[in-house]
Amino acid sequence: MNSIIGIAVKDIKTFFRERGTVFWTIAFPILILLLFTAIFGREFPFNANIGMVDYEKDSMGITAGVVSGLNSTGVFTIITFNETTEALEELNATTVRGVITIPQGFAQDFLAGNASVSLVVDGTSPDVHRLITDATRNFFTEYYKQYYRQTHGVDYIAPVTVNEEVAVVGQTVGYKENIVPGMLTYPLLFSSMVVSTGAIVFEREKGTLKKIRAAPIPAINTLMGKTLAALFQTAISIFLMAALAYFLLGPKLNWNLSLLIPIFFLGSMNGIALGLIISCIGRAPQEASNAATTIAIVLQFFVGMYFPIDYLPVFMQQIGRFIPMTYAAQALRDIMIRNATFSDLFLPMATLTLSAFVLYAVGVLMYRRWVER
Amino acid sequence: MMIEVEGLVKHYGDVNAVDDVSFGVEEGEIFGLLGPNGAGKTTLMEILCGLRRLDSGKVSVNGVDLARDSRKVRSMIGFCPQETLLYDLLNVRENLAFSASLYSLSSKKFRERLEFSAKVLGVGEFLNRRVQQLSGGMKRRANLAASLIHDPPVVILDEPTVGFDPTIKREFWDLIRGVKGYGKTVLLSTHDMYEADEICDRVAIMDRGKTAALDQPHVLKETIGGEPSIHVRVKEQQVNKALAVLKEYKGRLADGEIKISSSNPWQTMSEVSNKLVSSGILTDKIEIVEPTLEDVFIELCGRRLSEDS
Repeated sequence: MNSIIGIAVKDIKTFFRERGTVFWTIAFPILILLLFTAIFGREFPFNANIGMVDYEKDSMGITAGVVSGLNSTGVFTIITFNETTEALEELNATTVRGVITIPQGFAQDFLAGNASVSLVVDGTSPDVHRLITDATRNFFTEYYKQYYRQTHGVDYIAPVTVNEEVAVVGQTVGYKENIVPGMLTYPLLFSSMVVSTGAIVFEREKGTLKKIRAAPIPAINTLMGKTLAALFQTAISIFLMAALAYFLLGPKLNWNLSLLIPIFFLGSMNGIALGLIISCIGRAPQEASNAATTIAIVLQFFVGMYFPIDYLPVFMQQIGRFIPMTYAAQALRDIMIRNATFSDLFLPMATLTLSAFVLYAVGVLMYRRWVER
Repeated sequence: MMIEVEGLVKHYGDVNAVDDVSFGVEEGEIFGLLGPNGAGKTTLMEILCGLRRLDSGKVSVNGVDLARDSRKVRSMIGFCPQETLLYDLLNVRENLAFSASLYSLSSKKFRERLEFSAKVLGVGEFLNRRVQQLSGGMKRRANLAASLIHDPPVVILDEPTVGFDPTIKREFWDLIRGVKGYGKTVLLSTHDMYEADEICDRVAIMDRGKTAALDQPHVLKETIGGEPSIHVRVKEQQVNKALAVLKEYKGRLADGEIKISSSNPWQTMSEVSNKLVSSGILTDKIEIVEPTLEDVFIELCGRRLSEDS
């Protein structure tokens, strides 16, 4: 048997017999998937308890309509209180995240077109604060429009209308469609890097690297064997992630395998090469393992896995542009969301190929230097 | 010569791990490197196996220069280090198959070597058992089988029996002799003088990176180990009286026994015995002790083998 295949077969067999490793390799994507499914798999990604104090309770049912209308948005679950102070106590206790108070005379003012309500929102979370404020404002605008249409027979004319034009090549996507390509970047970064670091570190720790090095095979054969095994393990992770995402989230995405597979391959090769470099840096095996995990955790924030890279501060965006995995994440989004073609992917593919080649070459040189010292 | 080492030097910073060592090993010979921990034995062996670079000197195996063709040299060596270099989660057959793949063995050759391993090293009975389920002795046998899977002419064994109980140690010595029987040249390191004495055709005594002496064990003992000695044990209350009686033999007390060196031990033992009996001293034990490699080491290095270098 060829030494490269021999090393790969040995690593794969060892992997499948290491129950803990197999469990975590499979469990980790499942946990991540379940987590993201819980967060993004719903129609509405946000729901909050809102306290409502109605001092008006008009006979025309305007304030009653507000309560039932807010409840029907799906964003809010309305809990009614008799007094504002009572509702604010619950806000402090975080039972509710906001309090809407409808003052006396609201119905009269509403009919005149100049009503107001008071909104107190939990300010400890900027996102929650913004969502509740925006949703409340939008609700009252829409509520007034509906009322105006019913009573006047014509639509309420807003002062300015902004017409949004969707200029996306593919279809307009939701959270889950946006997050799935990012999640598929995860194995490229974590699995490939941690597996390839571990493959060398394990042999160092156990002392078995001596046996391989004493054999008449070039160092590159050892690394190629380990690379094959790491590619296989990363492929398992990607397959599990993709299958779970497909069945649990059901995203409307383009699964163009002829484009996805090259990106997965190039992304994995980058991760593996990086893992190789890390495994040669640490003096102690455990040090290299810890370094791989830490670097993977830090890098995930730079490469736009879970959120667009534009969200990052400028300096982080600039750092992100030097990380190959950023191009893998972007390419996956381009293929799956924007239906990118092969020619659209020239830049990310060229970048990933070049970086994989350079990183792997550096890894091989470092490994050779490390084993010969 | 199957192995030739000339003026080998290896430094680690200021430490001379191997300091101008030269020796040759004949084909089919069991050659031992005897010395305490830190003597440079493992470093020397790892250099021979291509695991470490030498600073200066020359090493050749079967006429092939290590510096010129390290890969060729490595293909002629079966290295069995002190640790068991097997994968616990693979069974013995899979471990051997992996080792075979490192030497690009064909399936046919692998099957032949598997039969050899089963017959000579006795691994047949546990070929399909995972390494983690094997006893220490079985692991060492499997480890040796993995080192020999490619049928190398040279076998390098680093402390092959360290940590073994005496019974398993003897079994392993028989295995090594069996390997020699197949025409292999064996280079082994040990800090066990009995092991070196028992199985090595020739021994190089190493200390602090240098070879202090090199020859057949019996020659070393005869030429350097000194004269045989008579060891006498008497009742504790009669020790002083016995020393006085044996004053002319320059007996010395060590480890609770009176020790007398003699070039004619049988005659001296007879005289000593008669003198003690006539003086009314009863002996618990009286025996002739030949010099050991430990004595050789003490003579050469001024301390015991068990003390670190």
